[in-house]
Amino acid sequence: MRIFVTGIGIVSPLGIGVETTFDGLLAGRRGIGALNLFDPDGCRSELAAEVPGLHIPEVATSSDIDLEGWSRTDAMAVLAAREALAGARVGEELPVDLICGGTTAGMFETEALLAEMHRDPQARRPLSKMLSHPLSATVDRLQEAVRRFEQARTICSACSSGANALLLAATWLRAGRSQRVLAGGADGLCRLTYTGFSSLGALSPEPCQPFDRDRRGLTLGEGAAFLVVETEAAAAARGAMPICELRGWAVGAEAHHITNPEPTGEKAAAVMGAALRRAGLAPGDIDYVNAHGTATPLNDRMEAAALRRCFGDRLASLPVSSSKGQIGHTLGAAGAIEAAICALVVERGVMPPTAGLETVDPACALDHVRTARAGSVAAAMSDSFGFGGSDAVLVLTRPDAFAPPAASSPRRVWVTGAGTVGPFGVRGEHADYVAPGSAPPDGPRPFEAKDHLDLGRARRIDRAGRMVTVAMEAAFGRDAPTDTTQTGAIVGAAFGAVDHCSAFVHRVYEKGARFASPAAFPNLLPSSPVAHASIYHRFQGPVFSSADLGATAEGAIVTAAELIAGGEAEVMFAGGVEEASPITEAVLGPLCSNPQAEARGEGTVVLRLAASTPDPAGVELVWSHAWRGDVDLGGAPAPSGPARVFVAHDDDAVAAALVGSAWAEVPRAAAAAQAGGHEAAGGFAAAAAYSLLRGGDLVEALVLGLAPDRGYAFVLRVSP
Amino acid sequence: MADDVKLKLKEIIIAELNLEGKSPDEIDDAAPLFGEGLGLDSLDALQLAMAIEENFGVQVPEGDEARPIFASVNALAEHIQKQA
Repeated sequence: MRIFVTGIGIVSPLGIGVETTFDGLLAGRRGIGALNLFDPDGCRSELAAEVPGLHIPEVATSSDIDLEGWSRTDAMAVLAAREALAGARVGEELPVDLICGGTTAGMFETEALLAEMHRDPQARRPLSKMLSHPLSATVDRLQEAVRRFEQARTICSACSSGANALLLAATWLRAGRSQRVLAGGADGLCRLTYTGFSSLGALSPEPCQPFDRDRRGLTLGEGAAFLVVETEAAAAARGAMPICELRGWAVGAEAHHITNPEPTGEKAAAVMGAALRRAGLAPGDIDYVNAHGTATPLNDRMEAAALRRCFGDRLASLPVSSSKGQIGHTLGAAGAIEAAICALVVERGVMPPTAGLETVDPACALDHVRTARAGSVAAAMSDSFGFGGSDAVLVLTRPDAFAPPAASSPRRVWVTGAGTVGPFGVRGEHADYVAPGSAPPDGPRPFEAKDHLDLGRARRIDRAGRMVTVAMEAAFGRDAPTDTTQTGAIVGAAFGAVDHCSAFVHRVYEKGARFASPAAFPNLLPSSPVAHASIYHRFQGPVFSSADLGATAEGAIVTAAELIAGGEAEVMFAGGVEEASPITEAVLGPLCSNPQAEARGEGTVVLRLAASTPDPAGVELVWSHAWRGDVDLGGAPAPSGPARVFVAHDDDAVAAALVGSAWAEVPRAAAAAQAGGHEAAGGFAAAAAYSLLRGGDLVEALVLGLAPDRGYAFVLRVSP
Repeated sequence: MADDVKLKLKEIIIAELNLEGKSPDEIDDAAPLFGEGLGLDSLDALQLAMAIEENFGVQVPEGDEARPIFASVNALAEHIQKQA
């Protein structure tokens, strides 16, 4: 089955729109200049690649939209999404799903407030300005200002987020879970990332020079891109012309270091190879590579080494360019913008140059495109490498160039373990979280990392990352993994490391950017806890985070199951992590989530999902569903034996959601009170469901995760 | 004076690099901090340079110039006293 790209939208520092951006790229124009959005005083650079002419009120066209909760990131995403849908001629009558990658969302708009909230606890009030802060806010704005989406997912794998959004879309289409997805990424500039990269010594004082001998680091940029991707059948049914084919994709973690790439390029090359295999292509079939090419000394050397490993002799005559000399490093948007550029290269037969490259670094000897070069491109590769070592590679091809890829049917998905860290301490399989009563029978057990981890190896990992690492270990259960090359993880937090972001930006405001903490910065990204855990456990499969308010853990579990079903991983650890957080408790929770009665504690939960089970009768994830707007559980398979519905909170919304489904009269169990009253409680409910199924108390369970205007559901069943 | 600087440096190293369970007297004044010794890396060097500037008002150069300065607690203390 082929997957077609039928629409593209780009907002970049070269301008708003596909044509402005691509024309600028071909002309060698550089969208890099003095940073205007904020004062870079004390940073190692005063430059940035800002999107010109972006006016939020002009983007949010309807007057009943409250602009208080909008960010530049949101505005860029809305513009790119509208252009992609219009280009694809997809109207309101056609169903569309949405996947957005990003790292900072409304950080720029909220960081002054966050700094104030750190200084003065009285400032911690649910102000509507904070609505743009959650990573999932961007998909909410898209839903509000662009159109209705059937389901929406927000993911983060740092600088490969946009590429992983497209990878997940491909997985959905190939498995028949969706007919059409709007997938991409958006990320606006902000003080947090600017001062953070500056503190790491990664910012170049001059416009960046990818692959140059004298390169001194990256130039930060901002932007957004979305691609409409659909099945060949869906495109044909409406007479849509393909721009190109999304043919290959792969994701893998380096399990090496939280900021530095693995220097030999071995893992990055393996991911490139996996993307080629998924595409059914050989290295010789690729005609152009759009490199990650950030212009940091370490990245470019590693990437050249990885390309040599993957392409061998072919590399001498394989055109390569990095777009970052023109649009900067757009972080969570980069993978999507650069995939869009590859789609245009394939469609138009012309390759953009690497601007800023003057004297090639001998360690980066490649066939560099120095000025725009015409040439037939049947297949192009786009590389994206993220902080924490999340590598993602996409392959885009001319629709008629290669035979259709082999079809495959989705694989079965099993739950083979669960681990939690919460008020009951660290637990493997257990059912305590749905028992009556409110206090743990043997008293609360605060989490002490030193009881569970090698603190020498874990010294860079913050509390959230440590809880995730330990919960995974608890979920190893009977068989600790020996081969982790195909093991990955998706663990999200509703609002990320908001209190740590608040402390970081407060320090920058109070003491100046010179004193931004290089060690703290990598822990502020939404994907940081799961990335740290992947390094500790050496997981080398797909590793990223997700965010969806109070249904984050359930969403992560559903996403992980989709990746296993699609053959992207053999084992996935999936769930949520919530730290004790004064800002979440006082500001973001009341503003964005369902009001919660309990005192908010901390906790983390992961389920271990796998493509096979060691048990003769295992716990199978037989059905899952994700939605935006009104819930319809009509498709949920009816229970046939002892069954229960598992939720975070058993409230009116749950009862309403179950009406009309085969599960309406089934007894329910709620986990929030005993899980710690935080946003990951739905994950604890899933862990309890698994435990009762494994113990033989039940044969079926429906896990239902609800948050405002969205939800997830899945059915677990004891299966032979 | 020199001993005060060294003790403060060791406290900074332990706090900033999160060397939980280590005490200042476990860090040898002359032992290498990076690679073998304490096993620190480039990210630690950035954090230490920032913390040294914050605590002593002394800048630590970057790149090749920084290498001999980060060699040991002794070398760091010497740099700080020279610049102060």
